[in-house]
Amino acid sequence: MRRLRSVLAGFLALFHKEKSEQELREELSSYLQSSAEEKVLAGMSAEEALRAARLEMGSAEVVKEEVRAAGWENAFESCGQDLRYALRTLRKSPGFTLLAVLTLALGIGANAALFSIVNTVLLQPLPFKDPSRLMMLYEGLPQVGSPKIPFSAPDFSMVRRGQKSFESVGAIQDKEFELSGHGEPDRIIGARVSASIFPMLGVPPVLGRFFRPEEDAPGQNVAVLSYGLWQSRYGGRPDIVGDTIELDRQPYTVIGVMPKHFVFPLPGPRANFLPAALWVPMAFTPAELQGWGLRYDLSVLARLRQGVTVQQANSEGQALGAAIESQYPQDVLKDFYGARLVLPVFTWGEEVRGPVRPLLLVLMAAVGLVLLIACANVATLLVSRAAARQREIAVRRALGATRARLLRQLLSESLLLALVGGGLGLLLAFWGKGALLALAPADIPLPQNVGFGPGMLLFVLGISFLTAVLFGLAPAWYTAGADLQQSLQEGGRSRSTGRARHRLQGTFVAVEFGVALVLLIGAGLLIRSFGKLLGTDLGFDPAHVLTMEIPLPAQAYPRAPQIRNFYQRLSEEVSSLPGVKQAGIADDLPLQAAVFHTMEIEGRPQVGKPPAVAETWVLGNYFQTMRIPLREGRLFTPQDNENSQPVVIVSQRMAKEYWPGQDPIGKRLRQEGNQPWITIVGVAGDVNDGPVGRPRQPHIYIPFLQLSDSLTADNVVGEARSMNLALRVAGDPAALASAVVARVHSLDPDVAVANIAAMPQVVSSSLAGPRFNTSLLSLFAGFALFLSAIGIYGVLAYAVSQQRHEIGIRMALGARPRHVLRFVLAWGTRLACLGAVFGIAAAFALTRLMKGLLYGVGATDPLTFAGVTLLLLGVALLASYVPARRATKVDPMVALRCE
Amino acid sequence: MPAKPAELVQGTLDMLILKTLALEPLHGYGIGLRIRQISRGVFQVNPGSLFPAFRRLERQGLIKADWRATENNRRAKYYILTEAGRKKLKHETRDWETQTAAIARILAASMGEL
Repeated sequence: MRRLRSVLAGFLALFHKEKSEQELREELSSYLQSSAEEKVLAGMSAEEALRAARLEMGSAEVVKEEVRAAGWENAFESCGQDLRYALRTLRKSPGFTLLAVLTLALGIGANAALFSIVNTVLLQPLPFKDPSRLMMLYEGLPQVGSPKIPFSAPDFSMVRRGQKSFESVGAIQDKEFELSGHGEPDRIIGARVSASIFPMLGVPPVLGRFFRPEEDAPGQNVAVLSYGLWQSRYGGRPDIVGDTIELDRQPYTVIGVMPKHFVFPLPGPRANFLPAALWVPMAFTPAELQGWGLRYDLSVLARLRQGVTVQQANSEGQALGAAIESQYPQDVLKDFYGARLVLPVFTWGEEVRGPVRPLLLVLMAAVGLVLLIACANVATLLVSRAAARQREIAVRRALGATRARLLRQLLSESLLLALVGGGLGLLLAFWGKGALLALAPADIPLPQNVGFGPGMLLFVLGISFLTAVLFGLAPAWYTAGADLQQSLQEGGRSRSTGRARHRLQGTFVAVEFGVALVLLIGAGLLIRSFGKLLGTDLGFDPAHVLTMEIPLPAQAYPRAPQIRNFYQRLSEEVSSLPGVKQAGIADDLPLQAAVFHTMEIEGRPQVGKPPAVAETWVLGNYFQTMRIPLREGRLFTPQDNENSQPVVIVSQRMAKEYWPGQDPIGKRLRQEGNQPWITIVGVAGDVNDGPVGRPRQPHIYIPFLQLSDSLTADNVVGEARSMNLALRVAGDPAALASAVVARVHSLDPDVAVANIAAMPQVVSSSLAGPRFNTSLLSLFAGFALFLSAIGIYGVLAYAVSQQRHEIGIRMALGARPRHVLRFVLAWGTRLACLGAVFGIAAAFALTRLMKGLLYGVGATDPLTFAGVTLLLLGVALLASYVPARRATKVDPMVALRCE
Repeated sequence: MPAKPAELVQGTLDMLILKTLALEPLHGYGIGLRIRQISRGVFQVNPGSLFPAFRRLERQGLIKADWRATENNRRAKYYILTEAGRKKLKHETRDWETQTAAIARILAASMGEL
């Protein structure tokens, strides 16, 4: 109660400051008068009495100050005073202030920008209802090295029926659609989802409704649109619900629209991570449900029942796996190579975040180090300033300011700097965030959710306070505690305090260099590994190659002969275009992760890990177009068609792995499920199937014309209807694109051509991830190098200007300019070397963390370590040279006279 | 010259002010004077300690202020003991007596009593 009253009174005093001050003045003067009256009564003259009373009371100002200090609000007020004073002092030295604020703004801004991403991606729960219970299910054959396989339709439906651990289970499958009606036909990425998926995510639609369970069946053509598609294609008109759109030339009724920030599926899991523009019911066909062992491409999401742990769900998954296995047809089961089927369960959040965590943490650490360097830099500036302020501080101490009071005063200055820097940094982050996200690779989830909430403000505020203490404390401690006597007598030019100052600054600079070295080594490793990536032989020649995807709707092309006929005609049509040198068609292009199949090889026992082989179907002059070299045997000819003996071309890697030391020509292999044997007729060079830098897999090429009708026409396998056209052209690939599209439309005006790209672009975007890491870390490292160069320059320049006297004496006593030069250079180099020793040790410990980001370079690559250290020492030498030169120009007479 | 005024025991000033005000409301100078008189000049409280103490006690609600006319017809800030102040004084006096009695016993102790 009493405390509350005191707090209230404090507030009142704050707001009625004038009144309470006035009363205090009046009270004191009344005291003085009473005292004087008393003395008059005792016989003094009025004048004498007043003087004596004044003497007795002492300074009225001191009394007032003490009365004020009795209330808590005083501390608050004097804080305000400190800040005002700090503002005045900083305004008086705009150069220093600008430099410090900008340095801090860059440091804090970089941290804030990156933190906004880290916050959304790593710290926030996924933007769905109760996300911690959302699980990702896989099939797994851990004994043969496949712990996480997407589901097949029959396996999924068994899990859905048999499981007890989950409230609901649903499947997701990426599906591209040709969207027509309302303007130009368009290729869009959509997804088939079980009816249970939307309720499981718990995000309500902005318009309309979700699928009903009875709509999750073939023939129920309904669709839910994403906000983006609704806006871009349908102008956001609200009557879209109930309207009919055409997907793959089938009418679908729009039943709902999802909200703006709803993104699904999310990147991260191994399949089905492309954010969809629309969703249709999964609606398994009977053929899909009978497709045992055929197609494993469903992501499965489930909501864990209350009270069930992930471990329990996992152990149920083991039992379910065994149950599913017992249902498998015997001839499919042998492709498991004797491994037991299990169903592992993972939290979805972890599946999404796991892949990007190392990258984000490395970058976060890097910006943290940049901020540390910025702090060290500002700290050296502050120490230099301390010299200029030594007299002021000494006077204040002599007048009775305690060390703690001065410390508070000086820290207020640091705080002000940090807060202004932080505010500016927040602005920088706000702009920088967009640029950062534009560069970011696609596997960073939820980029559109990265925002600046109250959490961000709190982070920037917190980090500003932290930096203020970090860069302000040591200089403030040093400044506030300087030797009083000496400062007053010698005006701050005393040698001993000078030494202490140089030592403190030297420490900062050495630390700065060490930290910069860590960053530079990190960046150096990434640059070297990026160089290796650029230098890898891709196995094909991307220059002057134009590619595009020509997907065919199943309705218009239901059977194998129509599909074959279309693509064969297409390949002939485009070959005759002027400017086209070669034309080929393939179901997947280099660098696109090819579809892997397990193969049976004649004469090889089916035990252990099954041969997983990338498979590409080719038509026309594909090898010539891509310039994939033929190493042995022959290429396909038009005579390799459905009427001739089935043939295959294997990659060198495949030949080496399965027929080491033998001639693979004439050997035979076959697809799973007792397909006919096919004979090897040629060996082609290795090509990167996946992103650049991924190890190459064994690869086989099959003539498109020889694909069995069941593979081509069966609804289950749609790849045959989305072949890619590849053209080697004479000039700029992009210039020819429209002519090619026109030629496609002359065959079928309704085909929606997709993914038109020049191959060099594809190569470049395949490097987007490493480029992001490398350029970002290089940027940070460059900034760090720049800051530490400024740091060492500043310290030496300052030291030289402080020691002109000493240098003057030395020169008067016969020191040569080159002695002086060497003296200053040696000083700078010593600091840099000290930092380098510390930096190399730290880098050894830290670069191990980025092993996963490197390609072809060890985490402690000696060449990088040595090269970067030399670079840093060179920069240090350069930065020391300017002040060293200036030292040699000292005129002994001038230097001595100015003392 | 009177003997050098004694230092107040830490924390006792508040109690002395409350006691002085328990007799009658007084203004600042009056309180200082009264303490000096009653202690026969042993305690001389300077304004630098007195006024912060007033502010403190006022904040705690132990005394309250009232602007009144002095005997010489000048405006002065008089301090009045509140009910809470009276209770506090009683409490503090009891504590003080217990403590001083104990201290006196310790100081008066001789070997024989042990």
